[in-house]
Amino acid sequence: MPDAPLTCLDFWCQAGSSSERPGEEGIAHFLEHMVFKGSGRLAAGAFDLAIEALGGSSNAATGFDDVHFHVLIPPDRAAEALDLLLELVLQPALEPQGFATERDVVLEEIAQYADQPTEQVLQSILSLGCGDHAYGRPILGTASALNAMDPSLMRRFHNRRYFGPNCTLALAGPAPETLKPAIAASALADLPGDRTNSSSHHPLRFHAGRHTQQIDRLESARILMLWLTAPAHNQEAVMGADLATTLLGEGRRSRLVERLREELQLVESISMDLTALEQGSLITLEVICPEDDLPAVEQEISAVLHQAANEAVSEQELRRGCQLVSNSLRYAMESVGHVSGLCASHVLWHRNQDLLNPLSHLSHWSADRLQSDLFPELLPEKACVLIARPGANQ
Amino acid sequence: MSAALDVLVEPLASPGVMAAKLWLPFGSACDATDQRGAHDLLASLLSRGCGPYNPKELADVVEGCGAGLRCDAQEDGLLLSLRSTMDDAEQLLPLLGWMVLEPHLAPDQVALEKSLTLQMLQRQREDPFHIAAVAWRQLAFSDGGYGHDPMGVESDLQTIERQQILPLAQRLPTGRSVLSLAGCLPEHIENRILAMDGFRAWPETTGGSSACRPKYGTSAAETIRLEPIDTEQVVLMLGQATVPHGHPDDLVLRLLQCHLGVGMSSLLFRRLREEHGVAYEVAVHYPQLMGPAPFVLLASTGIERAELSLRLLLQSWEELCQTTLSQADLTLARAKFIGQMAQARQTCSQRAERRAQLRAMGLRDDYDQSCMDAIKAITVEHIQETCQRWFKQPQLSLCGPPSSLKRLERIWAERHQ
Repeated sequence: MPDAPLTCLDFWCQAGSSSERPGEEGIAHFLEHMVFKGSGRLAAGAFDLAIEALGGSSNAATGFDDVHFHVLIPPDRAAEALDLLLELVLQPALEPQGFATERDVVLEEIAQYADQPTEQVLQSILSLGCGDHAYGRPILGTASALNAMDPSLMRRFHNRRYFGPNCTLALAGPAPETLKPAIAASALADLPGDRTNSSSHHPLRFHAGRHTQQIDRLESARILMLWLTAPAHNQEAVMGADLATTLLGEGRRSRLVERLREELQLVESISMDLTALEQGSLITLEVICPEDDLPAVEQEISAVLHQAANEAVSEQELRRGCQLVSNSLRYAMESVGHVSGLCASHVLWHRNQDLLNPLSHLSHWSADRLQSDLFPELLPEKACVLIARPGANQ
Repeated sequence: MSAALDVLVEPLASPGVMAAKLWLPFGSACDATDQRGAHDLLASLLSRGCGPYNPKELADVVEGCGAGLRCDAQEDGLLLSLRSTMDDAEQLLPLLGWMVLEPHLAPDQVALEKSLTLQMLQRQREDPFHIAAVAWRQLAFSDGGYGHDPMGVESDLQTIERQQILPLAQRLPTGRSVLSLAGCLPEHIENRILAMDGFRAWPETTGGSSACRPKYGTSAAETIRLEPIDTEQVVLMLGQATVPHGHPDDLVLRLLQCHLGVGMSSLLFRRLREEHGVAYEVAVHYPQLMGPAPFVLLASTGIERAELSLRLLLQSWEELCQTTLSQADLTLARAKFIGQMAQARQTCSQRAERRAQLRAMGLRDDYDQSCMDAIKAITVEHIQETCQRWFKQPQLSLCGPPSSLKRLERIWAERHQ
């Protein structure tokens, strides 16, 4: 059996939904779809066919801050794949017929999300907490905005965002000798340099508060809490937040899981998540519980969060948290896709460093510092809270 | 009589981590007909106290090492999964043995897991894909072992108590089990593992008579199931129960899965998404099972385009029996098959699981290698014959708004006239 190593080519660009202007809502993601509809040199579908015929695969994802396109490919075909990928991403055809068909596909994607109540609740709290900032808007956009778009608007967006300093190419896995010169000679070298019209973000104003909604087809109630924390470039603070959310919400011995699910048995699930973002990272707490238990659950969450702010966690807890955070990064190193993604995002956002380097910040977070600096920021009073009950949409 | 625990070891370069998979041949297909969900409940209880550790202590040991430990019920067996750093492996591996040989199954933990599972079952009804999948299972397998989701059925689970779980737990060590390790491993671990606390009491030979011989199920009399719910989209699942993994026709169906549903060059992707823009999600579901595996085409589509989507799915299905693939399609499917195999061997966890699975299914260790050669000999005529053998009586499940389902049902009925 071949040991089957694959090379991952990962093209990242600072062209997520937060670089959209009014009237462009959803265009970053729609463009990600359109890229695969062909370029000047490649007919629609020709890229997929070529990559998959080589035993490779490709995919893409759009986030708030950035978008990336990646290809997994046998190493000896990586140079060819690189050429095709760059052609596709940098010279999209944006042909009108394909534009109309692909818009229908994106509208189906929006409908599919709308049919998942969990996604609805998550989008609701982002909108409530982040308001009209890009982080509060659905990345997929809305049907009305998409229907109003034409290829020339998308062309302008592409020209505005896909240029030299906004782009990074990362490669993980075996790299044959031929690949370096191929990269040097690739279309990357011809990318135009800095442009003056890079978008100016309007600052993220966070709205704390408490809201209740009824969501159709929800089978169990949800409590969501959202906090704004340090932006991704403040890595020490982000690692602290990662540690704090782990202590509170990851594993059966974490504070919230132990108290609410294991001891009181009030919830089906309770988890915390940190999303590192360039304009302010977001922490979410998601609780799934029977509707009748909502008041008791909310009260207990508050008690656990206040306790964390009032007394320092034990050394043993802190060690456990650090182990979980460190190992989850190590496990991620196993796949070339993860490695290339981490590398690219570090470089794209000017944080060149070894991949395990973020872990060095963990040692700066003592139990006392977590208690004084971080847990007081993670109280319900500082959160945007959404209580979602089953019932017809309001 | 044969050794009861096969130990497989594969040292791999990794970032200092390892994965262990322990496979036990008692899955949800072995659930009694009125106790659907019993094996899943048992699986969830194994990590809630075993050997010297109560539930809290067990979680402390695992999470204190930043490790992951879980147990899942699949159709054909229970799969225990551990991942940790190499340094913690010696301390954590015995847990896998204790989970099987000495699970505590304490009454309070049984009650907790049962309640959590019931809540999860209820919540799964939020997902139209899940509803359609459950309905399709019932069409294809009725009340047989593959006829229900491994998590079970609410009405059955309500009646399952600790005394029903105990005998299932007692027979866990008696089957032919496989322990597979991959990654950065402690030296000579394969020689020491059976002498470790936790594994020492493992029986030396299998019990034979206690083996689970599931009845997978036979297809229902009807060919269509409608699940009316108030959604924007309709989920369509069209397919048939086919063959076990490793069956002589399995490899042909794997190539067909690549042709129809793998990647953006696949037939369904091109036809439904690129040509007609009628769906975002298209896929072919063909799990690797020991019994007759579903081969199912899946799409979800807005109601005004659902009729076209159904017609396109039917066309794609029926063509398979009526015409041969082109040589170019076959060549592409072979390339994707090889690519898929490479992509499924990326992490320690994937490698360990695949080896355990092959051994559990009685397939040779070099089975995947031999497939890479065998696909070269598969011809387009061979593929068409195989389709004619397995794709004659497809079944359809639909989940979506009632008015739309009625129209789709008519299209389905016309097809049979």
